[in-house]
Amino acid sequence: MAPNRAYCPIFVHCSELQGFGLGFAVAREEDESQDLAWHSVASWTWDAQDETCGICRMAFDGCCPDCKLPGDDCPLIWGSCNHAFHLHCILKWVNSQTSQAHCPMCRREWQFKG
Amino acid sequence: MADSIYSICNLGILDTLSENSIHEIVESYEGFCAANETLLNGAGDLSVGPQLVSNAHSLCKHGLESLLRDHFLGALEKTFEKNGALKFWRHFEDVSIGEEVFYNALEEISLEKQYQEKCLLMLVHALQTYNQRGSHDSDAISVELFAKYQLSVSSVLMATLPRKFPEILNWYFKGRLEELSTIMAGDRPPRDDEDEDDDRDDMELDEKWKVSYRSGQMEIDECYPQGRFFDNSKLVNNIGRVVHDLRSLGFTSMTEDAYASAIFLFLKAKVHDLAGDDYRISVLESIKGWIQAVPLQFLHALLAYLGDSISYESASSGLKSPLAKCPASFYPGIDTPSEGLVRWQLRLEYFAYETLQDLRIAKLFEIIVDYPDSSPAIEDLKQCLEYTGQHSKLVESFISALQYRLLTAGASTNDILHQYVSTIKALRTIDPAGVFLEAVGEPIRDYLRGRKDTIKCIVTMLTDGTGANPNVSGNTGDSLLEELNRDEESQENIAPEDDFHTDDKQAWINASRWEPDPVEADPLKGSRNRRKVDILGMIVGIIGSQDQLVNEYRVMLAEKLLNKSDYDIDSEIRTLELLKIHFGENSMQKCEIMLNDLIGSKRTNTNIKATIAQPSHTDAGSELGDNRVSMDIIDATIISSNFWPPIQEESLIVPGPIDQLLSDYAKRFNEIKTPRKLLWKKNLGTVKLELQFEDREMQFMVAPVHAAIIMQFQDQKSWTSKDLAAAIGVPIDILNRRINFWISKGILSESLGEDTDNHMFTLMEGMIDTGKNTANDGNCEDLIVGDEEGESSVASVEDQLRKEMTVYEKFILGMLTNFGSMALDRIHNTLKMFCIADPTYDKTLQQLQSFLSGLVSEEKLELRDGMYFLKK
Ligand SMILES: [Zn+2]
Ligand SMILES: [Zn+2]
Ligand SMILES: [Zn+2]
Repeated sequence: MAPNRAYCPIFVHCSELQGFGLGFAVAREEDESQDLAWHSVASWTWDAQDETCGICRMAFDGCCPDCKLPGDDCPLIWGSCNHAFHLHCILKWVNSQTSQAHCPMCRREWQFKG
Repeated sequence: MADSIYSICNLGILDTLSENSIHEIVESYEGFCAANETLLNGAGDLSVGPQLVSNAHSLCKHGLESLLRDHFLGALEKTFEKNGALKFWRHFEDVSIGEEVFYNALEEISLEKQYQEKCLLMLVHALQTYNQRGSHDSDAISVELFAKYQLSVSSVLMATLPRKFPEILNWYFKGRLEELSTIMAGDRPPRDDEDEDDDRDDMELDEKWKVSYRSGQMEIDECYPQGRFFDNSKLVNNIGRVVHDLRSLGFTSMTEDAYASAIFLFLKAKVHDLAGDDYRISVLESIKGWIQAVPLQFLHALLAYLGDSISYESASSGLKSPLAKCPASFYPGIDTPSEGLVRWQLRLEYFAYETLQDLRIAKLFEIIVDYPDSSPAIEDLKQCLEYTGQHSKLVESFISALQYRLLTAGASTNDILHQYVSTIKALRTIDPAGVFLEAVGEPIRDYLRGRKDTIKCIVTMLTDGTGANPNVSGNTGDSLLEELNRDEESQENIAPEDDFHTDDKQAWINASRWEPDPVEADPLKGSRNRRKVDILGMIVGIIGSQDQLVNEYRVMLAEKLLNKSDYDIDSEIRTLELLKIHFGENSMQKCEIMLNDLIGSKRTNTNIKATIAQPSHTDAGSELGDNRVSMDIIDATIISSNFWPPIQEESLIVPGPIDQLLSDYAKRFNEIKTPRKLLWKKNLGTVKLELQFEDREMQFMVAPVHAAIIMQFQDQKSWTSKDLAAAIGVPIDILNRRINFWISKGILSESLGEDTDNHMFTLMEGMIDTGKNTANDGNCEDLIVGDEEGESSVASVEDQLRKEMTVYEKFILGMLTNFGSMALDRIHNTLKMFCIADPTYDKTLQQLQSFLSGLVSEEKLELRDGMYFLKK
């Protein structure tokens, strides 16, 4: 029926809408569909001081050389010295040390931040 | 010399002659001449035979054998000229003659000749009986005399031959072939009167040639078990008789030429007729069938009639025709074809194949446009070419058609690409090794390399199912990649990266100004011989490098993903799987992460929205008046930006409540994913909104900037561009560009204020022009999607490249200052040589070319005849 109304006024005077030319109604009772849906975009980043891992030199927001997917699958870990590394990188590092491991950045004794 | 005169004029004999002898000789000679005269002109009166014989014997006795022979032959010749040749030609004096006249004339002269042969036989008999007393080889006399007679008949006819006679022969055979063809087509029964003629002729025939022909050879009727063959065999009998008569008159080669050319012309017309312009059906079978049914039947009957000996060995062994796959069933009713017939068959087939091939090659462009509907025509062409081996004809003709029809400014890149792919698909049937395809594809590739949108079109064609190939009906919705994959699954797999060094190869080809050899011999291509044609490889070959293609795909994928309002990526996942198969997992790693981000986003989005503490209505909803705004309306795509192409970030102030929701969202993310946090790219994404007017609602799918603009008009119906730009936090020029969307939709109107820089935008009131927007009038249900007008979320590959190449710009300008002018490949090679560190020059020739053409359009450089100059 709608296309037949070619000669009907499309817009009414704004004043007749009591000052509102537009409305963005949300979730009207008879209709579940939303009248405003805002799909936005964000990027995630590790909240770290450095940009790259001191061990593998890859970006924190990327992943360690052993991983394919960044983020949850290749997390960062902080030491008590506040240096951050890819978890996989520092684990490898720690495991490769014969005695007590030290932070590769500051040489302080490595302790996972509690 | 003296010897020879002596031997010819043995005058010594004269001295030994007695009076008696002379008298006897004269008498015998007169008697012989009289008998001769009576015999030849006596209308069949053979009673003078004994007289002729006795006189001949008497003359021979006196050693005058040669005299009487010469006299007899001379008389025969004169008589033949008078009673045979001249009468014969008189029949053909009329401008147009009928079939009947032709038969009558031939019959008449043949009867005359036959009669003369009987006369000659008498002389032969006389000489033979005389020589039986001597030691002469009697057979030799017969052979010699008949040969001489035959020669004189031929020479008399040839000497008096009217110029149009060959034409008449041609006309005759053409007419008979047409008749035969009509009979074989089966839509016309033979004429009744013809049957009568034939009956009469057959009777006469048997009588006429009983003497000189063994009867068995004429019984060709037995060869045709079916009625139709019986009918046409009568026709062929007539023709056979004509040919036989003509041969015996010495027109052997003229006759052969006439029926051969009639057959070939007829065959050519038939091929043209059958071939037509419909490429969806194979015509080769009908042509083959026709050759069997008409010309070969004709020739078989003819050769059999003429006594062409049937050679059982040669037909079954040596000559194998591709047409004669099963020779037994090939000739209906013929057990073993004679060698002559097989030779004819080969000639006819070759001619038919060549004719059809030429026809199809001339139309190859159209045929390929219609591919795959036209695959029957391609299949025909393939068989023709396998037989004639004239592939180079195809290459030459098709390349010139391409240059004339396709590689022009008017053709869209998409059309060219689709024709390229169709060409590959069609020609690989003909040329599985891809040797000719290489030559044919080269001009298309060269041309496409000069177009800016080529890569984009290729990626779209490969990955986009919607209308990827307009020619494939029923298959719409399949991307080319999907199709290739299907093809490949049905064949055996080849390693996708199998000696795939397109980049190097391309550089080498360009650097050495290599031109492809048009045909077989190129060693580089020979290596492909045992491989099947790799369509994807040939497409990537246009771009030069797989990386470039993957890069372009990544940009297009990013654009697509960032504009999604949902998380539905099924088709993208499928495409990625296919790309991984062809390009390897490593090449597609980043794209895989991008898709993974979408999957992760969907999960995280649900999680955040389910677990977030809903703010009270008074907090977030107040600014939108009575409308409640909840987290329900927010969705987010969260990307791992390191793996995405550079994102175009622009500032944007979104409406307050939305902004609040976004902060809450980010906060919740941080809580869930500590220590990860979100950085909003507020200008990206999609907003679905509904504008509510008193009597109607309109839905739109727009970019956030459009939403931010229109939502400002909720509280205030007029804005100046300066104020509005400040309110949404974008530069004024961007605002002016983006607001056009709403103006074009008739939602806002623009008016110039006092300050020309400061336009006034007002929410439309009252009626709208019934102009461009009438199509959308009242379609409240329809979602109106905001056109992006070239605005993209992701930096294009070109932009990225320009950024990366800028470091070389100084270097290039410096080189050109020194050298004056340089060709593309030289610049490329020089950069490669000198820019080995910081940063290493690692671009392809195409990338360089693209960058240089940018410099040309910026008027920094000039390109003339393939050489780059500094713009003065
Ligand atoms: Zn690391
Ligand atoms: Zn890892
Ligand atoms: Zn440390």
